Amino acid sequence: MKKYVLRRLLVAIPSLLIASLIVFTLPRLLPGDVVQLMLEEKAYGKDLEELRAKMGLNRPIYIQYWEWLGKIGRGDLGESLWTRRPVVEELLRRLPVSLELGLLALFFSILIALPIGVLAAVRQDTLSDYVARSLAILGLSVPGFWIATLVVLLPAIWWGWSPPIQFTEFAKDKWAHFSQFLIPAFILGIASAAAIMRLTRAMLLEVLRQDYVRTAWAKGLRESIVVAKHSLKNAIIPVITVMGIQIAQILGGTVIFEQIFGLPGMGRFLFDAINQRDYPVIQGVNLIIVSVVVMMNLLVDAMYAFLDPRIRY
Amino acid sequence: MTISRRDLLKLSGGALAVGAGAQVLELGRPTPAAAQTPKRGGTFRLRSHVAPVHFDPHQTIAFATMIPLSLAYSRLVKVKAGSAVVPGTQPIEGDLAESWERQGDTVYVFKLRKGVRWQPKPPVNGRELTAEDVRYTYDRFLNAKGNPNRFVLEMVDKVEVLDKYTVKFTLREPNAWFLDRLASTSTWIVAKECVDQFGDLKSPDSVVGSGPWMLQRYEPNVRLTFVRNPNYYIPGLPYVDNVDIALSQDPAAGFAAFLAGAFDFGPEYGMVIRRSDLDIAKARVKNLGTRDYIVVFGGFTAMKLDQDPFKDVRVRRAVAMADNWREVLETNAWSLGKGAPNPLIPAAFRDWTIPIDQLPSEGRRLYESTSADARKLLAEAGHPNGIKVPMETTPGYGPDWMDAVQVALKNWKAAGIDVDMKLKEYGAFVSSSLLGKFDRMMLTLRGGTTDPDTYFTLMLPGEPLNSSGVNDPKLTEMVKQQRRIFDEKKRRDLVFDIQRYASQQVYYAFGASVSAVAAWMPYVKNFGPNIGHDYGGRLMGAWLDK
Amino acid sequence: MANHVGALDAPRAIATRPARPSPLRLAWLFCRRKPLGAFGAVLVLLMIVMALFANWIAPYSFDETIRGARMKAPGSQFWMGTDNLGRDIFSRVVYGARVSVSVGFGAVLLANFLATIIGITSGYFGGKYDICVQRVVDAWQSFPFLVVILSIMAVLGPGLLNVILALGVLGASAGSRVIRGATIGVIQNQYIEAARAVGAGHLRIMARYVFPNVAATIIILATIGLGAAILAESALSFLGFGVPPPYPAWGAMLSGSGRSYMYTAPWMAIWPGAAISLAVFGFNMLGDALRDLLDPRLRGSGGGRLR
Repeated sequence: MKKYVLRRLLVAIPSLLIASLIVFTLPRLLPGDVVQLMLEEKAYGKDLEELRAKMGLNRPIYIQYWEWLGKIGRGDLGESLWTRRPVVEELLRRLPVSLELGLLALFFSILIALPIGVLAAVRQDTLSDYVARSLAILGLSVPGFWIATLVVLLPAIWWGWSPPIQFTEFAKDKWAHFSQFLIPAFILGIASAAAIMRLTRAMLLEVLRQDYVRTAWAKGLRESIVVAKHSLKNAIIPVITVMGIQIAQILGGTVIFEQIFGLPGMGRFLFDAINQRDYPVIQGVNLIIVSVVVMMNLLVDAMYAFLDPRIRY
Repeated sequence: MTISRRDLLKLSGGALAVGAGAQVLELGRPTPAAAQTPKRGGTFRLRSHVAPVHFDPHQTIAFATMIPLSLAYSRLVKVKAGSAVVPGTQPIEGDLAESWERQGDTVYVFKLRKGVRWQPKPPVNGRELTAEDVRYTYDRFLNAKGNPNRFVLEMVDKVEVLDKYTVKFTLREPNAWFLDRLASTSTWIVAKECVDQFGDLKSPDSVVGSGPWMLQRYEPNVRLTFVRNPNYYIPGLPYVDNVDIALSQDPAAGFAAFLAGAFDFGPEYGMVIRRSDLDIAKARVKNLGTRDYIVVFGGFTAMKLDQDPFKDVRVRRAVAMADNWREVLETNAWSLGKGAPNPLIPAAFRDWTIPIDQLPSEGRRLYESTSADARKLLAEAGHPNGIKVPMETTPGYGPDWMDAVQVALKNWKAAGIDVDMKLKEYGAFVSSSLLGKFDRMMLTLRGGTTDPDTYFTLMLPGEPLNSSGVNDPKLTEMVKQQRRIFDEKKRRDLVFDIQRYASQQVYYAFGASVSAVAAWMPYVKNFGPNIGHDYGGRLMGAWLDK
Repeated sequence: MANHVGALDAPRAIATRPARPSPLRLAWLFCRRKPLGAFGAVLVLLMIVMALFANWIAPYSFDETIRGARMKAPGSQFWMGTDNLGRDIFSRVVYGARVSVSVGFGAVLLANFLATIIGITSGYFGGKYDICVQRVVDAWQSFPFLVVILSIMAVLGPGLLNVILALGVLGASAGSRVIRGATIGVIQNQYIEAARAVGAGHLRIMARYVFPNVAATIIILATIGLGAAILAESALSFLGFGVPPPYPAWGAMLSGSGRSYMYTAPWMAIWPGAAISLAVFGFNMLGDALRDLLDPRLRGSGGGRLR
């Protein structure tokens, strides 16, 4: 087990290095010069070069890359070209917001998906199965931002109520801070629920046909016990895998919800940085997200290996 | 003060339209400011849909920065505010300057108010503001590397301190708009201590000014909080103790919060509310205060004058004649039909824009024609089967902009002008097409500056924004000349002449501007909306009657 | 329903297996067996029909502005109402199917094409090649999809083709993993060794033996991917990077002026929103049904019997 984890860790390092290379070059492929964007359209020829030099953008690429890598080793991700605030500082402020949103969304996802998945498997091909699955897929099919818009706008028009538009920090008011995530997380969760539901159902179906389950049946055990004790445990494994994937998707896809609900998370931060060609921010945020995902995959694989001793590759 | 293209992007193409036409719609009559005693206290709650990137006025032209700075800083002269001021007019009054006089054509001497103190914030700590601060500010303004606002005061040769409260400006050449330029929202007086301590003025901690409110706290992408400046030099002002600006990007969420009573003013830029939402707002807020005004942004078409087919003025005229400015206004959610066509000087400038019916006949025709007229003119110019041209623009200004572009394209097609649209991502667009690197046609937004003179810039050779490539000595001479006329009436005559001439040459085709609705809660008193970013100026004399 | 008992049926003897049923009978059995999947198939078919025959179905052109018909509520002349520019929404929804079908099928085709090549070669050759490729895929897959899409769109510029390219490249990485897994499963089989013993080249083996067996996986990935592509297009439109006008994309209709006029003219958003939802729903249901039928793991357990 330990050797396996170590091996996976070693394997993750080249992934991260390749990722860092991609992360570094990708924003520089974007057309449009960041300095010109800064000066908007009032570009003064001389100033352009000086500004570029001041920001260190006129040195050869490989030197900039090497320097960046070195800084990372010291825990410094550079400063935003626009605001001059350290990237690490911004990330520390925003990452928790995105994570909270993502984790809460995942929680709602599971809350919705597991019961539906179990129901659909146990009552396979009955009306309950069809209705349950339809509802789950419907949750996936309606664009999230549409539901969010309705939820935000309609109560305001009908009753003069809207979700809080300003973000409350955890320190200021714990309940207000938590409650502002509820609505967006729920809507996000509805969308992810379908994938988890599918997998739960499929896994449960497969497990239910196994011999030991039929044995339990034959022994006369109540259905619920059969399902819970024997099947669910084994069905859980792939579900965890999917959860890992969902987290990655959620982390990358929270932009829209951050925008609509006014949550200062990483999604919007990254989006703006790309539009503004703020290279250090793009690089820093990308690197963090990629690292988080790679680590998450590692964790999932380790849990996988832990739970199922047959798996070792 | 100016607006960058990026900011226009975030204003979601609030005013757009490529077209031409006549008939200015009447502006709302202001409700007379009732003689009331102002109440003190309370908090103004506003929304801004863009977060300030940083706070250094010499490093950006973004209105996202200038709006908060307008609350915390002051300048030598400012634009009058209050419910009696007609939007679109820019009457100047003294801010830090108590009086001023022009000596000759190129020298201005300003006498500062005595006893003005900076805000009691480190590192300035409430010391007295003197002429040296003014000199320092404009020195930095003119010499800082990468100051996109420099063009505002490029006519200034030197700034000198005559004594503790007297500053002398010497201009390189006469410019009758100098005072208007000084009243813009980029000419804030800043303190040397802040620059020395922080290196630049980007950090929110370095925002120490002499304006009515102090920047208390900045939570990036969340909110800006301001608290009253106890040292403010006008006794009794500001009436309201705090200002809270919520930074929220989504217009639907912003409007929902407005309906829920989270803001005291309309949620969009300029305290505006979309006209399509007005009925809903009125249903929820009884006695909502509103006022219409024509916004200063509008679309325009640049055409390469050294390329076929735009070498021929008749073709350019046809382009301007063919797009249906009325239809664009009608299909826009902010205007729902209300607005005005733009000659060279935007219609928002009530005192300086030429009424369409005072244009020469070719100019008038641009705004009153149909596609059939345009088609005929094209045939006369040697294109009986119409023309086919490429055009570049960006979807980065928002869906409202793209809708307007669609209307323009459709109307052009009806006139035989087959426009092949090529879209560029916003960043790429700004770095190339906007600076003149495009093939034949380009569509974009203009607007943001609040002195009419800056709108001549795109006609002057050598300017980066002269995207059509205009080089007309007669026009250049007229523009230079009007800067030398100090008599307002005579200047206006020349400005009108310039607009007449421009309407005949059609170096650019100008789109219409919407008439937007500014809205505020019934308990907000003595507030008058206006064009420009000077929120601070407009809010300092207002109060809450709650 | 006692489905659990299905697996206990004794397998039929090969000799007595009846001839393959006619396609019509297959379809009928499919409807009975998987009603949800059949419903999904109908929706998908509807969408494809709309896309192919838009010229005949739509009463107006998608960018035709009708005089005096701005913001009209649904009625006898305009079944779904008109928008703020005076265009018939029903026509735009019908033509929008073309855009969604193009984006969906285009992106999925590209994604699966890339995924298949990467997945099969990686799983088949194994060894160092596999490890290297998997590391790159790892890195690529961990990227927040936003970055990839925005970067590609910024470099290429807005446009229908570029959206397809961006979505295709993005979707390739996840699929390649699954296909690689399936490939590894397939190459364990005896007949692969046999083919190699006979002297068949790698390409031949991959094309003739591996690919057909992985095809089921690919099909399943494709149908789910179609739904995801359509949703992604609408999300991109919201962020300002979707399919630009004049193409009437459902996502753009929903997130653009549909959203602005949501309360005063809800029909501008409801119909494209419903179209998106039904299309995605249909693809997902169809994909689920196909997976139930084609997935070998579930085949013997009551999910795959059409006979």
